[in-house]
Amino acid sequence: MSKKLFVLVALLVIVSALLAACQPAEPETIEVVKTVVVEKEGKTVVETVIVEVTPEVVEPEAAPVPVTLNWNWGTEPPTADPALATDTTSVDLIRNLFVGLTQFDPVTAEVIPYLATSWEQGEDEEGNQTWTFTLRDDIAWVNYDPTTGETVQVTDADGNPRFVNAHDVVYGVKRTLDPATGSDYAYVLYIIKNAAAVNGGEEGFTLDDIGVEALDDWTVRFTLENPAGFFPSIAGMWVASPMPQWAIDEWGDKWTEAGLIVTNGPYVMESWIHGSELNLVKNPLWIDADNVQIERVEGVMITEASTAFALYENNDLDTTGVPLPEIDRVKADPELSAQLYNAPVPCTYYYGFTNTKPPFDDPRVRKAFSMAIDRQSLVDNVTKGGQIPATSFAPPGIFGAPEPGTVGLGYDPEAAKAYLQEYLDEKGMTLDDFNAMDITLMHNTSEGHALIAAAIQQMWKDVLGVDVRVENQEWKVYLNTIKNSTPVEEMPHIWRLGWCADYPDENNWVHEVFNVEAGANRLRRGCVDPNCEEVVPSKFDELTFQAQQEQDPAKRAELYREAERILAEEETAYAPIYHYTAVNVTKPWLTRNFPPLGGNDFFNWTIDMDAKLAAQGQ
Amino acid sequence: MTKYIIRRILGFIPVLFVIVLFTFVLMRSIPGGPFDFAGDKSLPPQVVANLEAKYHLDWPMWKQFLSYLIGDDLLGEEGTSRGIIRGDLGISLRYRSQTVNDIIKTTLPISAQLGIMSLTLALLIGIPAGIVAALNQNSWLDYTSTFIAIVFLSVPNLVLAPILIWVFALKLGWFPVATWAAKPPYLLGFLPQLDQLNLNYFKHAALPVFALGTSFSASIARLTRASLLQVIREDYIRTARAKGLRERSVIVVHALKNSLIPVVTVIGPLFAAVVTGTFIVEQIFGINGMGKHFVQSIGNRDYQIITGVTLVYGVILVTANLLVDIAYAWLDPRIRYD
Repeated sequence: MSKKLFVLVALLVIVSALLAACQPAEPETIEVVKTVVVEKEGKTVVETVIVEVTPEVVEPEAAPVPVTLNWNWGTEPPTADPALATDTTSVDLIRNLFVGLTQFDPVTAEVIPYLATSWEQGEDEEGNQTWTFTLRDDIAWVNYDPTTGETVQVTDADGNPRFVNAHDVVYGVKRTLDPATGSDYAYVLYIIKNAAAVNGGEEGFTLDDIGVEALDDWTVRFTLENPAGFFPSIAGMWVASPMPQWAIDEWGDKWTEAGLIVTNGPYVMESWIHGSELNLVKNPLWIDADNVQIERVEGVMITEASTAFALYENNDLDTTGVPLPEIDRVKADPELSAQLYNAPVPCTYYYGFTNTKPPFDDPRVRKAFSMAIDRQSLVDNVTKGGQIPATSFAPPGIFGAPEPGTVGLGYDPEAAKAYLQEYLDEKGMTLDDFNAMDITLMHNTSEGHALIAAAIQQMWKDVLGVDVRVENQEWKVYLNTIKNSTPVEEMPHIWRLGWCADYPDENNWVHEVFNVEAGANRLRRGCVDPNCEEVVPSKFDELTFQAQQEQDPAKRAELYREAERILAEEETAYAPIYHYTAVNVTKPWLTRNFPPLGGNDFFNWTIDMDAKLAAQGQ
Repeated sequence: MTKYIIRRILGFIPVLFVIVLFTFVLMRSIPGGPFDFAGDKSLPPQVVANLEAKYHLDWPMWKQFLSYLIGDDLLGEEGTSRGIIRGDLGISLRYRSQTVNDIIKTTLPISAQLGIMSLTLALLIGIPAGIVAALNQNSWLDYTSTFIAIVFLSVPNLVLAPILIWVFALKLGWFPVATWAAKPPYLLGFLPQLDQLNLNYFKHAALPVFALGTSFSASIARLTRASLLQVIREDYIRTARAKGLRERSVIVVHALKNSLIPVVTVIGPLFAAVVTGTFIVEQIFGINGMGKHFVQSIGNRDYQIITGVTLVYGVILVTANLLVDIAYAWLDPRIRYD
C-alpha cells in the first residue's frame, strides 16, 4: 500500500514536470497547501506541505485566421468625422463606421430604412413641410479598446448603456450646421428650415432655430425651408448622421482617433496610423453582426496606382483599381480579364461652354462642337474603362436621370458641320476668321485630361476644321480661373469639369449645378451681360424649381427629363462627355458588390478564406 | 572653434526666419485657397467664411504671420496656435484632426531611416568605386565603373523603382512589393523599435534603399574619382612619394582625405534632402515618409504643412552644412575657423 502510494506520487510529480516542460509559455507557478502521503524513515505518514504547482492550462485550439480583407484606401482619409467629410475615401470609412438615418439599396439605389425604420411627410402649423423619422432603438454606441482588443458598448454618466437615439441625430445635424464646426458640406442641409441662416451666422439665429427636433427618444422631426420630395435621401447623408456629443465634447478635434472614436456602424476602428494604415474590425454588437462575414479589414494607403496593382498581383490586396497603362494587358490576360469589372461611378465628365463668350454665345456653335465629339470612340480608344458615353447630365442610378443616349445630342458630323456653316454664313465669316478667334479649351493638369483633350481637339479639327488651343493649369489655379467672377475675356471658351452625386436625385445635378439662380451656373446661362452680373431665368430654370417642389415621383422624373433635354438639345449650354466608371479587379475569393452609387461597404462582402490562404501559399 | 559654432548657430535664426516668411507669403500669394472647393464643387461663400474664420484665414496677413510665429495668446487673441517659437507648427487644414507636429513626428522618422540607409549605401558603393576608378585611370575598371555610374545616374527612380518591384518582388518574390515595416512610436523618436528591427524590416527596406542609394552612389563615385585624380597630381603627393612612403599610405593618409572635401560638400545638402523624404521613391513604394507633404500640401493649399515641412528641411539643411564646415577643418589642415 505504502509503496503503491509512493509510486503514484512520484509518477504524478514526474508527469506534472513533463507537462510543465511541454507548455510553450511558462505559466506562473502558484503555491498550494496540499496533503500528501510520504514515506519517512520507513513509515508512511500523512503530512501537510506547501508545494508549488503549475496551474493546469488548457491548450487553446489554434484560432482560425480571421476573415481578413486586404484593402487599399488609396490615400490617407482626410477625416473620419461625419460632419467634415467631403471626399470618397472619408465617406467610405464613415459608412463602415457609422449608421445613417436612411441608406440606399445596394441594387436599386432606392432609399431604404437604416437607423430610421419609417418616415412620413407632414406639415407644421405654418405650412412648412415636415419629415418625421421613427428610429430603431437597438443600435449601440460602441468603442474599441486597443489595449484589450474588445468592442464595448459605451455607457452614460449613470452607467446605462447608450443606444443611438433621436437626440444624437439632432445633435449631429446641429453640429454640422454650427459655423464653429466649419463643415464644408453643411450646405447640403440648407434645405432644412433656418439652416442656411444659422450656418451663415445671421444675426438673431441660434442652433435651436434649425428645423430639427427630437419629439421623443426615438422620433426625430425635420422642418424644411421648401418642400422636397427627395429629403429622405438627404437625411441619409453622412453630414446628418447621429454623432456622439459626449465624446466630441471630451476630445474635441481628436475624437476620431483610434481608441477614442465612438461609433455605431458595422465596423469599429482598430488602429489608424496616419498616412500609413487604417484597420477595422467587425463590431460584434452591430444589429446585423451575424451577416457581416469579413471580420478584419487591413487597410493600407498606397497612392500610386501601379504599386497598388502590383500588390494586387502579389495577392497582397483583394481588390483594386486598374491603372490606365495596365488596362490593355489586363484585358488580354485570360486570368486577369476574368477578374475585371467596370463599376459604375455616379459622376459625369463634361466640357462647359462659356455661354457669354463669342462665338460660344451662339447655340449653333455650341451644338456644332458638341455633335462633333465621337464619345464612343473616345471611350473605346482613350479612356478604355467602359465609361458610358453621355448625352445628358445625370448618370444612371440618379432619380430622374434619362437613360443615356435618349436625351441630348449624339455624334453627328454632318449636322455639326451644317450648324457651324449656318453660323459662319450668317456672320459672313470664313473658317479662317473663325479660327482667328483663338478658341481655347482648358483643363486642370492631369495626364488623363490631357489625353482626352487632345483626342477631342483632333475630332473638332477633323469634323469642323476648327483649331482649338488646349491649355492646362494646376487644379486650384484652374478652379480660380473658371469661377463666376472671372472677367469673360480671361475665361477659356471651353473648360472641363466633373460632377459627382452627393445624393441620388436630379436636384443635386441639373438644379444645383446649372440653375441660374440656385446653381453654380459657371456656364453663364441666361446672362444679361457677358460677366453675368444679372441673370434671366429661362424655361429650364423654371422646370428645375418646379421639379424640386413636385410631390409625384412620375411627374418629377418627367420634369427633369424635359429640363435635361432643353439644357443639352435646345440650349446646348455644355457638352456632356461620359459617365464615369471605376475599372476594378477583384480576386476570385472575394465576393463584393458594386452599388450603383459607388462606395465600398465591407459589411456586404464575403471572402472565401481557404481559397485566399491557399493562393497566398499559407 | 566653439566660438565659431556658436556664431553659426546664432546665424541660423535669421535664415530660418526668412525661410518661414518666404514660404508663408509665397503660399498665400498663389491663387486659390484651402477651402474654396470640395472636389469639383465650389462652396457657398458662408461655408468658406466659416472655415476661414475657424482657421483665422480672415485675419490680415501680418496678423496671421504673427499668430504663426509667436502664438495667439501673445497676440491677445483667442486661438489654438502657440507659435513656432514654442514649437507649435499649427494644424493641418486638410487633415483636420492632425497637427503638423503629429504629421512630422510620424513621417520624418521613416524618411530619415530610409534616407540614412540610402546615403550609407551610396557612400559604401560610391567612394570605393570612385577610388578604384581614379587609381586605375583609363583601365577597364575605370571604364566599367564610369559606365555603371552613368547608367544609374541617367535611369531615374521613376523608372528604376517599378522595375525593381516587378523583378524582385513580383517575379522573384524575394522582397515585399511596398510599404515600410517600422511603425510609430519610434525608439528615441526616430528609430524602429527593437522588436521590429528584424529581417522583415530590412526586406521591406531593401528595394527603396537600393533605388535611392544607387542613384546617389553614382554621383558620389564620379565626384570621388574626379577629385582624387586632381589631388594625386598635387605637389605634396609627389613629395610624399619622394620621401619614400608606401603607395598605400600616400593614397589613404594624404590623398584620399583631401580629395573627400568636394564629396563632403555635396553630402551636406544631400543628407538634408534624403532625410526629409524623397517624393518619388516614397510614393512608388508606398512609404509613409515626409516627401509627399512637400508636394501634396501645395496642391491642397495646406499652408501650415508646407511651411512646417519646409522649416524642418531648413533646420536640417543649415545644421548639415555646419557639420560639413566643421568636417573641412578636419579633412584639410589648411582650413581654420579661429
